[in-house]
Amino acid sequence: MWTTIGDLDRMFGAMDLLRSRMNRVFTDSDRLYGNDIGWRLAADGSPRTNLYDNGDHFIVVAEVPGMAKDDIDVKIQGNYLELSGSRKSESPEGYKIHRTETPSATFTRSFTIPADVDVEKVEASLQNGLLTLTLPKAEAAKPKQISIS
Amino acid sequence: MSERTDVSKVEESMPERRRGDLATISPLVNIFENDEEILLHADMPGITKDAVDINIDNGRLVLSGVRKLEKHGAANWEEFGDVEYRRVFSVPQTIDVSRVNAELKEGVLKLKMPKFEKAKPRQIEIK
Repeated sequence: MWTTIGDLDRMFGAMDLLRSRMNRVFTDSDRLYGNDIGWRLAADGSPRTNLYDNGDHFIVVAEVPGMAKDDIDVKIQGNYLELSGSRKSESPEGYKIHRTETPSATFTRSFTIPADVDVEKVEASLQNGLLTLTLPKAEAAKPKQISIS
Repeated sequence: MSERTDVSKVEESMPERRRGDLATISPLVNIFENDEEILLHADMPGITKDAVDINIDNGRLVLSGVRKLEKHGAANWEEFGDVEYRRVFSVPQTIDVSRVNAELKEGVLKLKMPKFEKAKPRQIEIK
């Protein structure tokens, strides 16, 4: 009888040890990946974006590492913006793959811009893996200075 | 994990380096290897060449760099911001550190790490 209780005790002791080890696994991996909120967002391959309002134009910046300008499509209609693209999977010939963490997928992400955009004057540039769109607002949506008479 | 502890200790002893409030994120990587070399590709969108720091010492490769975004107007939404990229890897001693070559393209840092001539696998012929 006593030996059984002793065994039980030992078993619980082992479980406690396991639990504390498991806890440490999670804190360690948190430290590895940092506390960036974007880590999760980026997991499906959709780029993270920022949108800024500069009075007469909007600026949209998107993270698109590893993509050339031909890999990205930008569509705008009124105040609807659609970003789509694809990232080719990298697998150089004759190399053994140790790790592939970057998503190689196609994505489409659409946004509603807070105001109508003058589609003709939109500019896009790609630098250092960041896509920057400059979207001038349509005349009607621009802020107007009203002089007091 | 003991390596990580070492790294944090080193940083604590460097008070001139201000980490500020920047979030630290690990860049996502792809790693490939063949008989001649190891390739390491790390996603670091928005980072400039001057801001990347690559340090290989005693079998440890430290990639780090601070991304400062261009400031625009008032943000309607912001899903990413200024960050510090940082990730530590163990690299085998067979890497010829003097011939390591790095390239930054489209926000991806591409490291080419050749192996020492004597470390390459060799076919032995039976006489």
